Amino acid sequence: MKPSFMIIPSGTRLSEMHDQLKFSLPDEYNQQQLTDALADHYAIKQEQSVLKSLAIYDTFDWRLFNRSLVLYTSGNKLFLRKLFKTNIIHSVEITFSPVFIWDFPDSKLKKYLSIILRMRALLKLTELHSRSTTHRILNQDEKTIARLVYEEIRPARGKNASILATCLWLQPVKGYSKDCQNLIKRLEEAGFAARKKEDIYFKAIKAAGKNPGSYSSKLKIKLNPAMRSDEATKNILRYLLQIMKINEANLEKDLDTEFLHDFRVAIRRTRSALGQIKSVFPQNTTRQFKKDFSVVGKFSNQLRDLDVYLLKEDVFKAMLPPVLRDDIDPLFDYLRKNRSKALQKVIRGLKSKKYAQIMQDWEAFLDEPVQNPPLTSNADVPVISLARKRIFKQYRRIVKNGSRILDDTEDEKLHALRIACKKLRYLMEFFSSLFPRKKIKILIAQLKTLQDNLGDFNDLCVQEKYLLNIAEELPATGQQHKKVLVAIGSLIGILDREKQIIKDAFAKTFTDYASPLNKRAFKELFASKQKGIIP
Amino acid sequence: MTTLAIYSNKGGVGKTATAVNLSYLAAQAGAKTLLCDLDPQSSSTYYFRVKPKLKFGAKGFIKGGEKINKCIKGTDYKNLDLLPADFTLRNLDAAFYKFKHPKERLGKIIKLFEAEYDLIIFDCPVTISILAENIFNASEFILVPLIPTTLCVRTYKQLLSFCRKNKYDAGKIYAFFSMVDRRKKMHKELMAMMLKEFDGVLRSFIPYISQIERMGIDREPVAASAPGSVASKAYQNLWAKFQEAAFVNPSI
Repeated sequence: MKPSFMIIPSGTRLSEMHDQLKFSLPDEYNQQQLTDALADHYAIKQEQSVLKSLAIYDTFDWRLFNRSLVLYTSGNKLFLRKLFKTNIIHSVEITFSPVFIWDFPDSKLKKYLSIILRMRALLKLTELHSRSTTHRILNQDEKTIARLVYEEIRPARGKNASILATCLWLQPVKGYSKDCQNLIKRLEEAGFAARKKEDIYFKAIKAAGKNPGSYSSKLKIKLNPAMRSDEATKNILRYLLQIMKINEANLEKDLDTEFLHDFRVAIRRTRSALGQIKSVFPQNTTRQFKKDFSVVGKFSNQLRDLDVYLLKEDVFKAMLPPVLRDDIDPLFDYLRKNRSKALQKVIRGLKSKKYAQIMQDWEAFLDEPVQNPPLTSNADVPVISLARKRIFKQYRRIVKNGSRILDDTEDEKLHALRIACKKLRYLMEFFSSLFPRKKIKILIAQLKTLQDNLGDFNDLCVQEKYLLNIAEELPATGQQHKKVLVAIGSLIGILDREKQIIKDAFAKTFTDYASPLNKRAFKELFASKQKGIIP
Repeated sequence: MTTLAIYSNKGGVGKTATAVNLSYLAAQAGAKTLLCDLDPQSSSTYYFRVKPKLKFGAKGFIKGGEKINKCIKGTDYKNLDLLPADFTLRNLDAAFYKFKHPKERLGKIIKLFEAEYDLIIFDCPVTISILAENIFNASEFILVPLIPTTLCVRTYKQLLSFCRKNKYDAGKIYAFFSMVDRRKKMHKELMAMMLKEFDGVLRSFIPYISQIERMGIDREPVAASAPGSVASKAYQNLWAKFQEAAFVNPSI
């Protein structure tokens, strides 16, 4: 009979996070050699080996790795730790491996990870199988004074699988620090060295053929200031094409919404680059590809819209008065039903001949060597000059147009300003490697504040319109239908009030952005320094 | 943090065997447990193969603070630590009187461990002096082993009347039968009588078997060395019955 336990264990305590010391073993070293090395000095009692499997998780864009976090399951528990550290930050019992943050059981871990993972799915990166054998080191009373755990880690199950790493853990026992110090000395004499900066994570991920941090939705394009502008632009476009391809390959699996999102952003950036980095390619080419990418972008519009609304389900519900919260469910059920159709449409689009043709032409164009002599006016201009010119011009346009809106804030004008800001943002990101990192980072952050205001406003406008349209579209089914309409109406009312608040905040946000201080910073960084270089 | 004293004002009733096994079982179930060996005979300490030595002796013990923390030894079992006994603990009684509130001293000393442990078990020496009063004040529960003999029942009655006189809550006292020989008619009759007559007597008994005495040779809790044995099962049953009585249905 097992006693039911009522003195409730209170989870991990400080004392359990005792520092385990890790020792590196010489290559080809085995357990027997270890016991032999210590047998002269200590009585050793070997315990039965314990087998443990663990699986490491992260999102496709390495959100956890980028924050030096390691999330793994072992047994029926999920653990979070920092890279290079052994102590557990948070852990929680699970009944299945969660994919999204909303699958997590309510816990500190969930709270901790929710702002990091957000809408991204967790993917299993690799599995590890560990066999550890504890050796109790005894004193003359046969009392355990420390434990040495010999651990073999394999990427596959079974004793015959290749060993990824072997390590030796020294677990001190409370109250025996002197004996432990002696043991450490002996180990060091026997040729073991305490290991510091190393984490099995890297070996494991590498063995699985993956490279931590290899994908990011952020642009990391390295350009050389003296490069020809057409060459640099092609570099940017090739980078964006890579992002498109990586995400496209995962779209069909429908793991989460962000593959499509990143895919679409890469298309939008491509179109923006073609439009904004002017006169580097022949006009016909630019025009054709802009049209092509507009087509490619369009066939996923519906799916992205649905994703956005479905991701906002909880937010929308929280906005509604409690009496209406459940009434809106039929709307989301309807959107969910539409989503699977929209996904099929996207998949069909990606498999279409037209798409294949566009991508083939595009790659062929990017692979072409640059034209000599140049066909267009900016093609062989050093990219730094063109970047300065384009960014500064776009900035000035925003300041001019924004100032005009200040007195009379029309929705249409705000929309136009939002687009202009987006173009500037893309330009600054494309060319950020050409400018001092800290300075351009600050300017981008300031632009982002303005963009957030304009973006929120636009989102609310679009949402209002969408909800109005969808209300008409919803299949009518009596009493329930009426209730949904009431809930949607209420939601539109709430969104409208919020819209007004954001609109009111525009003036202050813009004035901050167009401040003389900011203007000076822009001028310093982007105003063309050598006049006459750009015709 | 829960505090439990394994206490008896009569000797040789199986206090130490109980303290050692219950603390082991609690730790196995996941509670971070500290066994405090208050008995200068240091039997619990011996069972866990720890040297019976407090670095600063009874004086250091009674002062409390970080010094005690340094005396704690990890046992060979997960979640189970031991505060060893020391021969100087025999002077504990006299030492308490040096403090302003001599009867609350022990409670104050263990406050230090609140954040560290889920459960503290005291293995007590035979006493009904000021040390006993310290134990009564510091413990949420008191578990008394009873051998079903007339003398043992008599001392149990003495304990209850002591509590009544000195206004200690007898409601936190639980008793169970120890060293029971079921072949003896007298044992059976006395057990039946006790269960009827007293509150807080658990329907649990530890049989009189050599397996438990062997702990002195093995120097391991029997629940650890022979988890499936009769003795081990008896302690598991006791631990379950105690928790049931203390936490689920406190009115039995």
